[in-house]
Amino acid sequence: MKSFVVVLLKELSDASRDRRAVLSLFLFPVLAPLLIYFMFNKIIDLGEDALDIELPVAGAEFAPDLIDFMQQNGISIKPLDLDVSNNGFSAATSVQLKTAIENRDYDFALLIPADFARQVAASVTVNVELHHDSSRTGGGIKVARVQNLIEAWGKETSVLRLMLRGVDPAVARPVNVGRIDVASDQARAQALLNMIPMFVIMAAFMSGVGIAVDATAGERERKSLEPLLVNPVQRSQLIIGKWLAAALFSIMGLITVMALNVLALSQLPLEMLGISFYIGANEVAGILLVTIPLALFATSLQIFIGIFARSFKDAQVYIGLMSLLPMLPFLYNTLNNNGRELWMSLVPMLGQNMLLADVVSGRTPAMPDFVLAGICLLAWSAGFIALASRLLKRESIIFS
Amino acid sequence: MISINNLVKHFGKVAAVDGVSFVARDGAITGLLGHNGAGKSTTLRVLYGLLKADSGSVDVDGIDVLQTPLQAQERIGVMTDAHGLYPRLTAREHIEYFARLRGLPAQVINDRTQVLLARLGMEDIAERRAAGYSQGEKMKVCLARSLIHNPQNIIMDEPTNGLDVMTTRSVRNILQTLKAENKCILLSSHIMQEVSALCDEVIVIAGGKVLFQGTLDLLIKQTGQNTLEDAFVSVTGTGA
Repeated sequence: MKSFVVVLLKELSDASRDRRAVLSLFLFPVLAPLLIYFMFNKIIDLGEDALDIELPVAGAEFAPDLIDFMQQNGISIKPLDLDVSNNGFSAATSVQLKTAIENRDYDFALLIPADFARQVAASVTVNVELHHDSSRTGGGIKVARVQNLIEAWGKETSVLRLMLRGVDPAVARPVNVGRIDVASDQARAQALLNMIPMFVIMAAFMSGVGIAVDATAGERERKSLEPLLVNPVQRSQLIIGKWLAAALFSIMGLITVMALNVLALSQLPLEMLGISFYIGANEVAGILLVTIPLALFATSLQIFIGIFARSFKDAQVYIGLMSLLPMLPFLYNTLNNNGRELWMSLVPMLGQNMLLADVVSGRTPAMPDFVLAGICLLAWSAGFIALASRLLKRESIIFS
Repeated sequence: MISINNLVKHFGKVAAVDGVSFVARDGAITGLLGHNGAGKSTTLRVLYGLLKADSGSVDVDGIDVLQTPLQAQERIGVMTDAHGLYPRLTAREHIEYFARLRGLPAQVINDRTQVLLARLGMEDIAERRAAGYSQGEKMKVCLARSLIHNPQNIIMDEPTNGLDVMTTRSVRNILQTLKAENKCILLSSHIMQEVSALCDEVIVIAGGKVLFQGTLDLLIKQTGQNTLEDAFVSVTGTGA
């Protein structure tokens, strides 16, 4: 048996008995998909809610045209029994409404004055009141929708009035803004989908870290390094064994994160958001092809830091800072609008992030991009492992 | 057989070992005797290949440690000053780990482990995890894993430091058995009793230099003192 295999097997069985290492293996990969699941659910709920508005109206019977218009646009009307005979609306009515909204009997309400129809017929401006609590989150979308509908009805009415008087409605409307909302639920959901690559990259970093630090800085801290080094084994064999053990944990972590993410997404009615999300065998193979080099890279860096650090605590601090690294390519990709360029494939993690984003959104990345990004990461890993092996020959590292 | 010739090792500007030469014979227990900081551990660390020498030569059974440290390490069993164990591994797993690293065949590992467990009286902890071992139990595991490949040369840095009487005794018994098997045993110590109870020959070292090499009787005779302790103090000249 090659020495690195001996080290690998020892580190694996040692770590599998370490509650901390096992926890760090599963904690993140289980939590991240849950987060995705709940965030998606939230978006879908919001989307459903916005379509489904029940509007409490006092004085609905006085404005049948407006109420018809609202109902045609999917608003269901709930009549309220409030005094609207006074056209300025009485103070008592306001107080009554305020209490009802505070008590959450309803989130908002529309008041229509008793002489609504007469004023409309007289072509004057009618005041209706929309009572709501702007400090309450969630209701804002609905209130805005109601307000938009009332204004839309108003515009329609004004067009009719102008036409009756032989005036081109365009005269009163010098400009018309066509608003196209791209920050739709779909876009928000897409942004969430783009977080999955980040989670996978973070899993690669977080799942192997326990074993990587324990096998390096931990080995020194518990004074078992010197006895280990008196065995006639090349330092590189020791480092490679430790590295592969950490990498295996990391790979297990990212497979867990992926499997649970796919599971979570398959449980969600994504078609409601107009998202086509499909992960089949090809996509899984693609993701693994991208992420396995990533696991090797992340753990090689951690092994290097673990050997380099003065103590376990030291290593934890460095590695804690390093855990922010996976955020960088994600942020860059979020801000970058220029598309893919060759150099990006060569930057560790950035290339992977883009490949994963492609795979998750159903595009198939070109094979050379896969190969290039993978080889690049493996080269970085080999570099860190060679450096760590050299460090392990230093007297100041062995006896610190 | 271990022979060191004119070994020099600096840390920065400080000469930790400054021209040490001695020979440790097969079939004998040789004691490296000195105060804390005299250069004992540094000498031993160069000898088992973890420190590089600035000059001089070190060889084990004719193999040059400085040129071919891995080959030399195959002929040495080392119990280092550091006695770190893996808290989640059992005593047997500790011994097997080192045996596999040395590439021993599975059958040999089994047989040797059984023998060592019996010899050191540690069958009761063989399958128990190291977290919670007593000092003596830790020491026994360290000793067993350093002897698993049946090395011709055995190097021990302060082997009975901090042990109770019973464990010290069993370590001594093992060392006597190894000596009877014609092994070369080199141990460092600053405890006179231990050296006088065990060693056939002593090397007194201070300030990185060898002040005396010879038998205990010779040391006492040369210094004209009555006890080994007085002789040691008189040689190192720092008895005030």
